[in-house]
Amino acid sequence: MSKISARYVSDGTSAKGGFGDVTFCQDSNLERKVAIKFIQDPLQINRLKDELAALLQMRSKHVVQVYDLIQCENGNFGIVEEFIEGDDLWQHTNPTSINNYLLTIWQIASGVTDIHEAGLIHRDIKLNNIKIDPEKIIKIYDFGLSRTEGINAKTIGFNGTHYFAAPELYSNGHVTFTQSIDTYAFGISALLLAGEKVLHQSLCSFPPTQSPNGLFSHLPLSIPLELANLLETCLLVNPSNRPLMRDVRDMIKKLILKDSHQALAVFKQTTSLINSTNRSASISFGNIGKLDISYDGLDFTATPVFGEVYLNNALITSKTFLPGSCVIAIGSTELKARDRAFITFDISNPEVTI
Amino acid sequence: MNGPNKDNDILNDRYHIISYVNMGGMQYVYRAHDKVLGKDVALKTPKNNSAQKRFKRSAVVSAKVNHPNIAKTLDYFEVGEQQYLVEEFIDGIDLGQILSTKYKYMDPYLVAKTLHYLAKGIAAAHHVNVVHRDLKPSNVMVSDTVNISGLKITDFGIARMADEELAEAAEGVESTITTSQTAVGALPYMAPEAITTPRKVSVQADIWSIGAMTYELLVGAKPFGVGLPAVAKILEAKKPDFPSFLNQNPQFNSLCTSLIAIILSCLDKDPNKRPTADQLVDACGNICYPLTSREIGIVNDIRYKAWGFITVNGKDVFFNFNSVYGEKPDVGDQVLLAQYPGYGAWRAHPVIKIT
Repeated sequence: MSKISARYVSDGTSAKGGFGDVTFCQDSNLERKVAIKFIQDPLQINRLKDELAALLQMRSKHVVQVYDLIQCENGNFGIVEEFIEGDDLWQHTNPTSINNYLLTIWQIASGVTDIHEAGLIHRDIKLNNIKIDPEKIIKIYDFGLSRTEGINAKTIGFNGTHYFAAPELYSNGHVTFTQSIDTYAFGISALLLAGEKVLHQSLCSFPPTQSPNGLFSHLPLSIPLELANLLETCLLVNPSNRPLMRDVRDMIKKLILKDSHQALAVFKQTTSLINSTNRSASISFGNIGKLDISYDGLDFTATPVFGEVYLNNALITSKTFLPGSCVIAIGSTELKARDRAFITFDISNPEVTI
Repeated sequence: MNGPNKDNDILNDRYHIISYVNMGGMQYVYRAHDKVLGKDVALKTPKNNSAQKRFKRSAVVSAKVNHPNIAKTLDYFEVGEQQYLVEEFIDGIDLGQILSTKYKYMDPYLVAKTLHYLAKGIAAAHHVNVVHRDLKPSNVMVSDTVNISGLKITDFGIARMADEELAEAAEGVESTITTSQTAVGALPYMAPEAITTPRKVSVQADIWSIGAMTYELLVGAKPFGVGLPAVAKILEAKKPDFPSFLNQNPQFNSLCTSLIAIILSCLDKDPNKRPTADQLVDACGNICYPLTSREIGIVNDIRYKAWGFITVNGKDVFFNFNSVYGEKPDVGDQVLLAQYPGYGAWRAHPVIKIT
């Protein structure tokens, strides 16, 4: 056991990180384990400070918390981070169900979106750098902070990183980093987490080349086609053709919530529920009018059958999406209120719970 | 008195005190700027010697809990005799302040969301065998008072100290429990066993407190009242009444019925019959509630005591009295609402009157 400082005591274990070694320590003040990342090249410290400041101020439930920055007696500079219990995502490459898979990649996409919306680039997204904590919350760590132009010899030296590195990182000379390198690395991570055992040869060449269609859709996991197609675009060779992580996150969320919405229709004090077990309802009001309501797992729609049907006061003549809460009226606005029927319609759109 | 520190004090060569925030039962709270991490933090320090004895221990306990709905413990240090705990700073207000200054109660959709977050946070604490013991609205911070988002339970560690004071108060004469500042705040949310056997409370006491808080959020009153009369009622654990406005409106009836069932299960006298925090999280996952964002508006017109219009950001929004949860507003009243597209005017649902 060595003392990093009076406060942090090494527990004797360590690991290799993206831009420095990580030593695991006990914080004697709060009696908890922390991970301290030492920056190997002291010349980098000043260059890193601006970016580090942005990282420290970032708030995301999916990115590890930094507690402290320390300067050791030997001059080493260390970043003290929360220690995350649990396995890294290499232990989760055999998906148990499509739902678990979607929850995992939705959290990763949320974390990467948070990073991008803070104006940062992670630069080293890979399964080794993501853990699932005991509360099943995904935590991303080990930012590749090194701004070295081209490929950092230290990161490329690590076996896994090759396959997560986007094609543009292999170009000669000046390499411009954009957030889409994280999108590419996310795409590879999502492919491995979906149970892909052997990456297609196009993804194993350095630099990777255009992969064939159907990479995600052919997997036994049965990823919904629209998501499979979107995930595939994360791996496009041209970085500007890759999607925004925010859009990826939102589509995964939509699919997680599929079939979990519920609508409550109230007509003359009686209520009826429309949901995945009861997907449609017909509402008629004498010979004044009639409409059908249906739920396709993602959206609720109303289709007038006959008569005049109004949605929040607007006449509808064809299949129309219902907003989260509305009043449907049957009968012309010329009629007296007692000769029209009013149905209130409220959709519950649950949050993804993790 | 604003505690041992003043604005612009710099502690541990790292924390620059910006302002005094408030005083809890056991501690002073400051907002400080962390020069190392470059962001604001909450700095807490014990008020007196009895609190001091357990402060370090409580910091260690609270540091064990890690969840998005729990305020994160960042640091602990001592300056001379004075101890300090550093916590994530939540720029917002606590639920107690919301209930006393903004809304007497929330619409059932927001209650369901709040309950869900509370249950998730407490479940994470119970997974590492940490009991809060002092759950009450003033220990729940939210960063967005309109949408109750960014909810974080705070003062885990402090609860452990409060526990000592609560135990002393409960074991003492009846007057102690109504004069101890800590006990007065906590009493309406205390489980029966926390009063009778205060040194033996377990995780189930937190579940009772969640039930009592959820009751207050939904109904606008404490389930067993306040002060000394509450003690007898809590010990008896007689099921509290729910006012008729919860079930009168068919649009809210279904969700209110689910929430009432959950609240009553938490307020079971037998701790072992209450749901676990995990079961509570599951129960919340099964009730459906919409998450449309809320806005504040002012009622500008009411017709036939049945419908009217609300001004929201300079625009008229239609509302029907059927969409109002609880007390009906008058012209000129402030209301909290969600709105949906409509022809002519958008439509508000749900609507609650702001006090």
